[in-house]
Amino acid sequence: MIEILNSKKPYEIYPLSEKAITIQFGTVISEQAWDKVNRLNQALLDQPFSGLTSVVPAYASLTVFFEPVEVARSSMNGTTVFDKAAEYLKLLISKDQDLIPSPRKIVEIPVCYGNELGPDLEYVALHNKLSIEDVIKLHTSAEYRVYMIGFIPGFAYLGGMPEGISAPRKQEPRKAVPAGSVGIAGNQTGIYPLETPGGWQLIGQTPIKLFDSNRDAPALLQAGNIVKFKAISASDFRELSH
Amino acid sequence: MQIRIIKPGVLSTIQDLGRPGYLGQAVPVSGAMDTLSHRLANLAVGNKETDATIEFTYGNIEFLAENDLLVAFSGAGATPYVNGYALPLNKPIFILSGSLVELKSNLSGCRTYLAIAGGFNVPELMGSKSTYLQAGMGGLNGRSLQKEDVLQSYMYGKISREILYSLKRTTSGFPSWSVAVSAFQSFTSVIRVIPGHEFTWFNGESLLNFMGATFKVSRRNNRMAYQLEGHNMQRLTDNELLSTAVCPGTIQVTGDGKLMLLMADCQSTGGYPRIAQVAAVDLPLCAQLKSGDEMSFEVISHKQAEKLYLRRELDIQQLKTSIIAKYSQNGAH
Repeated sequence: MIEILNSKKPYEIYPLSEKAITIQFGTVISEQAWDKVNRLNQALLDQPFSGLTSVVPAYASLTVFFEPVEVARSSMNGTTVFDKAAEYLKLLISKDQDLIPSPRKIVEIPVCYGNELGPDLEYVALHNKLSIEDVIKLHTSAEYRVYMIGFIPGFAYLGGMPEGISAPRKQEPRKAVPAGSVGIAGNQTGIYPLETPGGWQLIGQTPIKLFDSNRDAPALLQAGNIVKFKAISASDFRELSH
Repeated sequence: MQIRIIKPGVLSTIQDLGRPGYLGQAVPVSGAMDTLSHRLANLAVGNKETDATIEFTYGNIEFLAENDLLVAFSGAGATPYVNGYALPLNKPIFILSGSLVELKSNLSGCRTYLAIAGGFNVPELMGSKSTYLQAGMGGLNGRSLQKEDVLQSYMYGKISREILYSLKRTTSGFPSWSVAVSAFQSFTSVIRVIPGHEFTWFNGESLLNFMGATFKVSRRNNRMAYQLEGHNMQRLTDNELLSTAVCPGTIQVTGDGKLMLLMADCQSTGGYPRIAQVAAVDLPLCAQLKSGDEMSFEVISHKQAEKLYLRRELDIQQLKTSIIAKYSQNGAH
């Protein structure tokens, strides 16, 4: 049931539950693992198996959820539900490799930095002995990888923030952080998709809805996307908010 | 059919079987905590298993029948009464318009499901009518039910119509048959689990305690997770787990060594080591546990859990078929 890690098969495959199976590509965050997760995610989007309900990509793993009754009924190879799903995934991985281009959609997120929309921008600048303009410049210069969507609906775990603008979490979390707030916590940056309590240092806000349950695709960002932030003015923010 | 909530109790929400298709966007599955009771209540009134029910928590609940109703109660933790008379669980029940229905707490469990012929009529969001309170989504305006809320059902189908017709001729308002819940699960506090992927991260003594000792549901329990009290789990390694998918039934070990059992509204990903996964067939039992209740774990293999799951699904389909068969032979009315 468990694959042994070796250079030829650099992944492990195991059941999370009767309804889910995880493929793990190593145990560290890396460009290669991210790429493998993305390729398999894309392959599953293109060729889902009967009974598949959700795919959850994470830093170095991908978990496939399914309805066991449908998988059991399917003609996939294997005697148990786990075997059938595992065989299918192994086949996809073996076919995949270089055939499927890694999808890297770039999503630009407009952000109004500072003032009341980013009340902690000054703190982040002071903490890093930078000017406010430098913080904005560094934050908008990087390309961020979306490693996974987790925590709350539509929240993207982003990688690639310049270390020069890192800042510790707030001592006292805010009771309500407005949806769209862009924050920094340690070496991470992120966008709050919904109003929620939170302890991140808030540097700005986007007028774009990161999560909207009435949209066909409720979450704006998907694992595998590249995010770029773009600074906008307060008047642009107001205009885009409508 | 229409009801009016008079007393909503501590937490009453509209639920169905949840939204399993949006985990990749970090939208929790949600849905009924005790999916078995939800499904059985629906089947008892001739509904589809996926129709929306009300999930009541404990008792202290009252609602008014604003029309004649065909309903069923399933679950545990409360006894339903109509105009002061106790009603049975797991049977279709005909209730006359104007009746006051009460649910009074008993100590048998935590959650009772009310199915109504046709299912409750609330908007569908992302393929489900389930309420997810943390994001204020789904159900009735994304919130729990309150005093004076009026809930209607959809038009009911042929089987419900036949059940209703037959019950109107009884004096009790319910039939002699009931859904034999005991055929599906035995009420026990021994919960079957599959070893989690990080099972071996814990030392031998901890694992023996996990498999042998009892744990108590702490006061910190809700639709997202239960914190369990008991032996703390000691780790052999200080490995860090990269955040990865978790799901209802996952038992995580938090930084202080405590067990955390994830439930219907849990996050889609987590970074705590997963010591075990509750067998899907036993998750409904967990849904009926309340603060202070004790539980222990019996480890089974993933293969056994899978067999139990498929068997359970087969049993439910057979129940469905037999109810349909029973009420299809009556002919046209």
